[in-house]
Amino acid sequence: MDIISLSQVVFQSMIRYPDIKIPKGKTTFIHGPSGCGKSTLLKLINGTISPDSGEIVFNGNNIDDIDTIKLRRDILLVSQSVFLFSGTIEENFKKYYEYRDQETPSKEHMEKFLQICRAEFPLETRCETMSGGERQRVYIAIFLSFMPEVLMLDEPTSALDNTSSDIIMSNIKNFSDDNDMTTIVVSHYLPLAQKYGDNIIALERSRP
Amino acid sequence: MRQIAAISLVQFSIVYILLLVVLAVMKKAKINQTKLLFVASVRLTLQLTLAGFILTYIFENPHPIFILMYLTSMILFAIHRVLSKNKCVNRGFKIAISLSLTCSGLGIVIFFVTAVVGQSIFDPQYVIPLSGMIIGNAMTGVNLATKTFCESLSEKRQQMESLLNLGVTPQKILLPMVNQALETALLPTLNSMLGMGIVSLPGMMTGQILSGTLPTTAILYQISIMIAICAVVCLSVFGSLYFGYKTLYNSRNQFLYL
Repeated sequence: MDIISLSQVVFQSMIRYPDIKIPKGKTTFIHGPSGCGKSTLLKLINGTISPDSGEIVFNGNNIDDIDTIKLRRDILLVSQSVFLFSGTIEENFKKYYEYRDQETPSKEHMEKFLQICRAEFPLETRCETMSGGERQRVYIAIFLSFMPEVLMLDEPTSALDNTSSDIIMSNIKNFSDDNDMTTIVVSHYLPLAQKYGDNIIALERSRP
Repeated sequence: MRQIAAISLVQFSIVYILLLVVLAVMKKAKINQTKLLFVASVRLTLQLTLAGFILTYIFENPHPIFILMYLTSMILFAIHRVLSKNKCVNRGFKIAISLSLTCSGLGIVIFFVTAVVGQSIFDPQYVIPLSGMIIGNAMTGVNLATKTFCESLSEKRQQMESLLNLGVTPQKILLPMVNQALETALLPTLNSMLGMGIVSLPGMMTGQILSGTLPTTAILYQISIMIAICAVVCLSVFGSLYFGYKTLYNSRNQFLYL
């Protein structure tokens, strides 16, 4: 069963997407040359930008008919540009949960997701002192901890070495499978897609 | 109280000697701004001379049309200054700034002149100097607030994108930035209220005392104008930002410029 489908989607008269189907509960990798609209596709799916034409369907409903805030909470996009508030890891969890009007999770909950993302730093660690790769892992852990129905990761391993990338993707894949979470990953690194993707969508540069 | 002593043109010209002192210091310190000093002095003299003649004419021939023209040109100038210094804002935001400056500026001027001072809104002796102070301060406040808000927008791009992706409403993302800009714009006025009468005697009060007004009367004017300035800065900045920030996203909760 497909959880998300796109048909005849065109964005700003520049990018024409092929018809895409994302299977529920699986890990789908999106692959393609830079400039083909991979990141744009994720933004179209979570409704932070709109297509010129075409239809995007989530759980049988056109996303135009779904409340955008609810849509973005159900289809959570972890963008490539990492943002952490100044302060400790724990304070960052607190701040992000405050913005979502949710209670701060327990320390065990935070540590569990940090561990999945291979960011087992003490919760008191200040984020300003971390390296780019460490910050990226903490950022993914915070977003993953919201346990959305669909998790979209835009180049989640861009600041990581191959070993860390491998472990994190393996952990996220196992976690998604265990929790019936659908995962969409944009990655330029094909071996990662081949290893962890249940489904690979190759995009090409296209002009309408 | 004695009336103010009139300055003869000969006496007045002596003051320009002080400019020569400034020039000498600048030369000694190798500050290469001699041309600016010259242009600034000439412009100061010409502009104020012109203003003096215009005001003398208006005071001798008081007519509502002059007051309306004066207020209109002052507000248009204030709007133009703010908009030309803050190019980052979109069309809707510009409208919000223009309307807020006009409504709050005029509202406070009318309230101050008619209710606090108890004079006609078309009395040039009161309207012209008071509206200059009120609208001038509103302009500075809105300018500072808009600049601060625009800087926040460009500095916090990643934060805004992350929170939007997390399913946070644009209002909730932008409001802390609006409040911070409002605070930044209000602080100079609040700080000047703190030091007033201790650090310095403010301009309007000094002017009134020089022209022979009793200090007790001058104080009442000064206190009330400071409160009016505080109110106009608060209202004009609040209006500009609270109506302006709503133009930055659409009904689909998408930022319109990211």
